[in-house]
Amino acid sequence: MLSEHRSIRHLDFKLLTTVVVLMLCGLIAIYSATFVDSQAGQLNFKKQMIWGMFGLLVLVGTIFVPIRFFNKYAYTIYGTSIFLLFVVLIIGTGAGAERWLELGPIRIQPAELAKVGTVLALAKYLSKENCNLRNFREIAISFSLVFLPFLLVMKQPDLGSALVFLALILPILHWAGLSSMVLFVLLAPLLSLVCAFNYYTFLIAMLIISSVLFLSQRSLTFFLINFILNIGVGVVTPIIWNLLKEYQQKRILTFLGLVTDPHGLGYQVIQSKVSIGSGGFLGKGFLQGTQTHLRFLPEQHTDFIFCVIGEEFGFLGIFVVLTLFFYLIFKGLTVASEVKSKFSSLLVFGGVIIFLFQIVVNIGMTIGIVPVTGLPLPLLSYGGSSLISNLVIVGLLLNASRRRFEYF
Amino acid sequence: MYQDLSNLKRLYILFTLVLFAILIVRTGQLQLYQWDKYFRESEKNRIRDIIIEPLRGLIFDRNGEILVDNRPNYSVSVVPYEFLKADSAIILLSEILNQRPDALKKKINKDKRGNFSPVKINRQIDFKVLSAIEERRLDLPGVFYNTESRRYYPGGIKAPHLFGYLGEITSAELKKFKNTNYKQGDSIGKNGIELQDEEYLRGTPGVKYIEVDVLGREVRNLTDLGGRSPDPGRDLFLTIHADIQRYLEDVMADRKGAAVVLDPRNGDVLALMSKPDYDPEIFSNPLTPETWNQLVNHENKPLYNRASQSLFPPGSTYKLVLAAAGLETGDINLEERVLCTGAHRLGNRLFHCWKKTGHGEVNFMAAVEQSCNVYFWEKSRDIGLGKWSEFSQNFQFGKLTKIDLPNESPGLVPTKEYFDQKYGEKKWTRGLVLNLVVGQGDLLTTPLQMAQFAMILGNEGVLFRPHLVKKNQDPLTGEVVFTKVDSIQIQGISKKTYRTIKQGMNLVVNGVKGTAKSARIRGVTVCGKTGTAQNPHGNDHAWFIGFAPMDKPEIAFCIMVENGGSGGAVAAPIAGGVLSIYFKNKNFASRN
Repeated sequence: MLSEHRSIRHLDFKLLTTVVVLMLCGLIAIYSATFVDSQAGQLNFKKQMIWGMFGLLVLVGTIFVPIRFFNKYAYTIYGTSIFLLFVVLIIGTGAGAERWLELGPIRIQPAELAKVGTVLALAKYLSKENCNLRNFREIAISFSLVFLPFLLVMKQPDLGSALVFLALILPILHWAGLSSMVLFVLLAPLLSLVCAFNYYTFLIAMLIISSVLFLSQRSLTFFLINFILNIGVGVVTPIIWNLLKEYQQKRILTFLGLVTDPHGLGYQVIQSKVSIGSGGFLGKGFLQGTQTHLRFLPEQHTDFIFCVIGEEFGFLGIFVVLTLFFYLIFKGLTVASEVKSKFSSLLVFGGVIIFLFQIVVNIGMTIGIVPVTGLPLPLLSYGGSSLISNLVIVGLLLNASRRRFEYF
Repeated sequence: MYQDLSNLKRLYILFTLVLFAILIVRTGQLQLYQWDKYFRESEKNRIRDIIIEPLRGLIFDRNGEILVDNRPNYSVSVVPYEFLKADSAIILLSEILNQRPDALKKKINKDKRGNFSPVKINRQIDFKVLSAIEERRLDLPGVFYNTESRRYYPGGIKAPHLFGYLGEITSAELKKFKNTNYKQGDSIGKNGIELQDEEYLRGTPGVKYIEVDVLGREVRNLTDLGGRSPDPGRDLFLTIHADIQRYLEDVMADRKGAAVVLDPRNGDVLALMSKPDYDPEIFSNPLTPETWNQLVNHENKPLYNRASQSLFPPGSTYKLVLAAAGLETGDINLEERVLCTGAHRLGNRLFHCWKKTGHGEVNFMAAVEQSCNVYFWEKSRDIGLGKWSEFSQNFQFGKLTKIDLPNESPGLVPTKEYFDQKYGEKKWTRGLVLNLVVGQGDLLTTPLQMAQFAMILGNEGVLFRPHLVKKNQDPLTGEVVFTKVDSIQIQGISKKTYRTIKQGMNLVVNGVKGTAKSARIRGVTVCGKTGTAQNPHGNDHAWFIGFAPMDKPEIAFCIMVENGGSGGAVAAPIAGGVLSIYFKNKNFASRN
């Protein structure tokens, strides 16, 4: 029975194919994006090919390593990645930000390893037998597990990657058993705060919050306390904001990525929108993207790879990529909800959230609805570390999917 | 399973669907709804029209000697986005250009308009620097150079007051030429002929369509989109006689003054010189405020064109106006003699003749020959201010000559009304008139007007509008357009009067007691009149006007040396030089 489960037949080939197709989309786009660079461009393409093949080996390896192993070494891997984040702050390299560790001919980004490590550690901690999420201590430790890498990556500084850690915590607690209502109560003031600057958005936010509170059928006191709290946040926020000095406001906006250098990041967003918009329904065709080939877009083979797809393969190409991503996430959520082991479930779910966050933020910034923070598109963007860590996450997903009926 | 997660799964799938729907809707908005806009935008990004500057027309002298030519000039620009990224490139380029790295950086940051538009950092580099940049091209990202054309003066005559100079177009000029093809950064004629004949010299810019990358680097020339070669500007053939101009530039190099030499047969300007001047090349780079202030505030006023713009009292040369008036009215009788004791009494004031001991008894001819003030003062009593003003205006004083140069001044001929207005009716005395008739006081003329006056006298009443451009020519087709010259016949002055004056002017040069013996030329009868104009600010201005030969003049001139001293001693020899060049060349040419 066991041997049958572990056989190749239980491997989700559809999902594996989806991942490989996404990687191929990335390779095609990288080829196109760096085509004009002639030699240097071919080098990037070849490097990504090699990374991709190596990554697939890692993925296969991940599939066949028992989940037990990951459970056992979860804290070790987490600890190692945190240690490397410290190291990179001291001896790291990169343009203006210490992100890379040079290991002979290859450069690795410890932040990418930390993503996997953090999910492992969280999954292990939250799946321990006596974990009670009504306990403040458990919540605090869970938060600490993500705050540590968040702060270290922030320090590099790499806002985009750092936010991945923050994005992880509430959904994973939710998945681990934190009630939706608690999650909502935690998130509602944040929504009020963000919406407080515009009369209409605030009104909509209040409507949503009060209707959810009302539908929860909790006590009137609970309703009133939360309602007044949110109104209070909404009223006080603009007042406090206006009390701040202009440079303080600017600092906060810059921190949030809402204010950008018009000639730097702003330029990227404009050119990125032009690239995607000019692609139309069918796109301009492979290697025909003028924006891409005339290098109007900086970083187009890394963070802005989506523009290349948008320009050369149009709305149709984007639709295909998004569909593939959706399938991946759908499969991930299915496995996470079906797998017997809580550790595996949390692990897979954490991986799904990391994917979801990176996909939405990366694509969102290329189409101008999310501030530019600098984040790769999983499986597609150029970059070895990110590709490997994403493939490890997929590997864990496939692994869990094979063993979904095992408790360990 | 430790808990049923299917509800939670459904919630997160819904959540994902909402997020993906937002992404899809937004993408659809960009790619389907706003496709037109972004497609046009991307085409604009890709195809850039590059303006090809036309070669500016050349300027030749009357004999086809090239005076103003173009030569290539290289300028260095950087794209800040690429260039400022690497400190090593900044250091390398500053070494090549021999500038301090921080100064270079400061300049780029000061001049930049966005990170992607090139900033011109050096407008003039020599070929050595150019090759150094080319050699290290790979180490200098975002650095490139352009070829522009630049004026140079192979004849050695820079004459900025004549040719003018080129400078970067100002925003006011851009507004003025709104519907033409000028753009920011273009060169435009700023003075002299370069300004006056800008429309001919400039030519028509061409255009080529190229595909560019983000740094504006040419990727491909899109010939299928058309484009147009530039049409070079038209070449100008001036009336200038290079040898005479060169002689005047040299002889006046360290002096202040002006000279205008005309061909009285057609109004050709053979030479037009003004000193001191300035180097026209200083305007090809943006001028620093210090240099500009130095030029503007310099005590010698090098920016003024003394030939046609600055105004001077003409001194005794102007006595000829009163002579013409007196001869016409009959107030001057050739035989009548006037006793010059060296001074003329007006009320209880004495007006001194330049010769303190007096000229003794002088008739008209002797008075002209020796430039006796007392004679003309005596005569002015009879002729009167009214007639004097009328004749002055008749000789075109107080009016523009309409020469083809910018910023000409009309000068000033005082009248009775003028003095009434200035001092009040009957509040001024005849002393003012005495000053006027000897070319002093409120009377103001330009050397150009004085040369024109000499032409009128030489031509016995016929005036051709002085002009500098003989013809312009299309360098490609050879098609020629000649300048039309209009002429004026001066009314109310008889041939007899002119001939009498000419005889007097002959004596000035060739008479025993003439004041301008140094202007004599062997074999040619030169006529002239000297002037030594007092001025309150320094030494006298030396004047000499005249023409030659006496009967059928071919050359008329005015030489003025500011603060030079006496006209006979200082200005006349210069005229002599001009005449000998003119007649020697002419004889040489006729022998061949």
